[in-house]
This record gives sequence, C-alpha cells and structure tokens, in this order.
Amino acid sequence: MSTDWDVVVVGAGIAGLTAARVAAEHGLRVVAYDRLTPGGQLVNLTALHEHPGGTGPELVAALTAAAEGAGVRLAYAEVTRVHPGSPVRLETSGGEVTAGAVVVATGLGPGRLGLPGEEALARRGVSTCAGCDGPLFRGRAVAVVGDDEWTAEEALELAGWASAVTVLVPGQPRWSPDRAARLAAAERVEVVPDATVTALRGEGVLSGVVVRTADGERALAVAGLFPFVGRRGPEGLVEGLAADAQGRLVPSGGVLVAGDARAGAEQSLTAAEADGRAAGEAALGALAASSGSLRIVDPTHGVLPEVDAAPVGAGSTATWTDVALFTNSKPNATELLRGLGERLQAHWGLPELGFAAKENASVAAEKDTIDWLSQRFKMVLVAVGD
Amino acid sequence: MELERRGVVAPLVVTETFLPLVQAQARARRVEPRLVVVPHPVGGLNEAELAGRIEGAAAELLRMADEARGGA
Repeated sequence: MSTDWDVVVVGAGIAGLTAARVAAEHGLRVVAYDRLTPGGQLVNLTALHEHPGGTGPELVAALTAAAEGAGVRLAYAEVTRVHPGSPVRLETSGGEVTAGAVVVATGLGPGRLGLPGEEALARRGVSTCAGCDGPLFRGRAVAVVGDDEWTAEEALELAGWASAVTVLVPGQPRWSPDRAARLAAAERVEVVPDATVTALRGEGVLSGVVVRTADGERALAVAGLFPFVGRRGPEGLVEGLAADAQGRLVPSGGVLVAGDARAGAEQSLTAAEADGRAAGEAALGALAASSGSLRIVDPTHGVLPEVDAAPVGAGSTATWTDVALFTNSKPNATELLRGLGERLQAHWGLPELGFAAKENASVAAEKDTIDWLSQRFKMVLVAVGD
Repeated sequence: MELERRGVVAPLVVTETFLPLVQAQARARRVEPRLVVVPHPVGGLNEAELAGRIEGAAAELLRMADEARGGA
C-alpha cells in the first residue's frame, strides 16, 4: 500500500507530539498537523505544577524539538475530516493526504457556558486563556467557571493579575488536593461550590454575571469571565467514529485517539503524555500487522523537501517608505510594536506606518490581511510570540 | 512567515520563551525568519518595563532594517 505518510497525527499538543515522536523513532514517516502552532493550549500555560517541563512554552519547545529530532514533519493546516480505511484518507485545508495509520490528538475545544450574549462578549471580557488575557484584568475582579485541574490552574494564574478571583464550581471541585491547597493559600481567590452562572451582564463589554447557589441568585460584578466548562472533543471529525457525551472520541476500527480527545481520558499532562506514547506504539503495531514482517524504511524520512523552498514573490511595487506593523493583539504586543515602529519611523524619516491586527492570538492571520500587507508594504514588523 | 515567503521583509518580534516554537514553525514552513528577540514576558508589563523592552530591541531592529534595505 502506497501512502503519503505512515502515520498522520492530528493535533500537535503533548499527546500528539509524543505519539508522533515515538512512531518516528521507529523509522516511520510521520507528519503532525496543527492548525496554528505546536502545543495547543499548553502554549498558554505559564506554569506547570504537575510536570517537570517548566513553563508551557518550554515544554512545548522540548516536545517539538524531540519530535523534529526523531524525524517528525510538522505541518500547519487544519484537518477537517478523517476517513478511516486502508489507507486512511484525511481532508485538510492544504489538500488530501493518505496514511497507513492515524492518531487523533486534538484535545478539547474552548469552554462555553451556552448563555445568551456569550459570543458577542468573547474577547470583550469573556476569555478562555488566562495566560493570554490575564494582564488585561490587572487590579480588576474576574470569575472562573469550572471544576477541573485546568480551571484551578487558570484561576491561580489569574490571581497574579486580578484584584479578586471567584471560582464558580458547578458542583464540587474535582481538582487535586495539591491544587486545592494552593487555591486556599491564594489570598485573592474564593471558591464557590454548587454555583451556576445563569446570565451575563454588560453592554458591549462584560460588567458582571448572575450566579445561582443554594442561597439564591446574586449579581457578581466582574470585568472578566473565564469559562472552562462545556469543552468538547472533536466529535464528527472521524467518519463513523462514536463520541461520548462530551464529544470525545471512542477509539475503534483502527483509529487511534490520544490525550484529552479520547473518551475516558484523565485530564492531565502526564496522562496525555502516556497516552501519546501508547498511541505511537500502537500505530507501529498496526502498520506492522498490515505490512507483514518486512518493512522498507525510507532513509530520507523527516528531511524537508527542497521543491517548495523557493520564496513566493508577490509582485509588489511597494518601496522602503511603505512599512507596517502587524500585531497578534496579545496584551502589550501592539504597544511594543508601536514603540519599535516609532524608532524605525524616526530612523528612516517615514511619514507614517501602516497597521493591521489579528482578531486574537489564537487564530491564524486572515488571508485578505496577508494579501493586503504583502501587496502594499515593503516591510512589516510582526508581533508573533510572547 | 508567510509575508517573508511573499518577498516582504518581515522581522518577527518574539520573546525568548517562544523562540524555540517560532524556530520550529520556521523550519516546518521552510523560512529563515528575521527575529527580534526580547525577554519574556511582554503581556502585563507596566509602561516603564515596556519601554525597557523597546529600548533593548530597537538597536537590533534598526540594524536588521538597514541591512535589509541596503541589500535590496
């Protein structure tokens, strides 16, 4: 059977990168797809308390380096549909690819309360990333909704910025005793069990929430709300694969699922890493079973092809007076760019600077924006990673 | 990085912490990015701290920009 890849891994978080590395270390041709950047939401965790990996970005960097060192090819495209079979076919935003085995490791989607007005208030007070948006709430009150380890971790991170962090638990907390102790020790954090958010308040930006507890309903004035409930797995991604009530996939029919995307998975970094390792080995076993004992290993696996290395010219007529700033809209990114832009403006005597912004750091740049910048400007200063 | 592939000079401002991730992306996209590296973090800095980041990165940016313009 001839395929583009031996193994395609969908999602380059801790489970996906580990599965990819393990499979590649056995000589398989492995590609790991991610929509935007390796690491997923792990990138946004500034402290890891259950894993000896330092910060989230540091752990992702180590995992990425190990995967690449083993020969894994990283690809940045969205996998929109997986068709199990022999071979497995995957529809991606970059075209269709085939593989002998697939590992789905997408993790879970962002939290949602499912309340009226929630979408309109997204990034206007409602956020699912403390590491990204926490600084916006310096000295202001925020609420966090959830009951799991991730909720506790985000609440602790927000306590470094906010004047008060109210953790609204829709039942009883499920986080570990260690996290419970750290939450209890945090002066600005209050945990409220059996609490349900019933409404959002705010015109244009969030001003508060309505909370129902055993004592009745009350208004809670907050500038920020971080929901970590309602996170769903990649249901529907794989043709014919069942999902549980949370949309997490039930592995079957040769489709491997690793990390938080798997039904029944324990939500922790160490569990996701172990899951990824098991999936990588299972992929090896599945391919060995389908190909017999003889295996011809491609000695160039993991070597980047040269064919598409040439730059793509835009045919722009822009000159060196045409300079722009392009921000990812993270806190202070725009201010940093403007400060640097002013230095360049003064240095080169530029009359003005162009400006463009991504809606937020968690999405890829719009094609129209890239088209406009590449056609209109000779130089673009980009705020890409903080 | 897509901008560089299209022939635009596009220095990326990145913190030390995210540098390995950006480098990994660059390898995958087969681009050699122009990087202006600043200490981590940027978000949450006050005005004076942010001014320090700008001050620290400006010289490298101007050198990079002059080099790109001179070599054009």
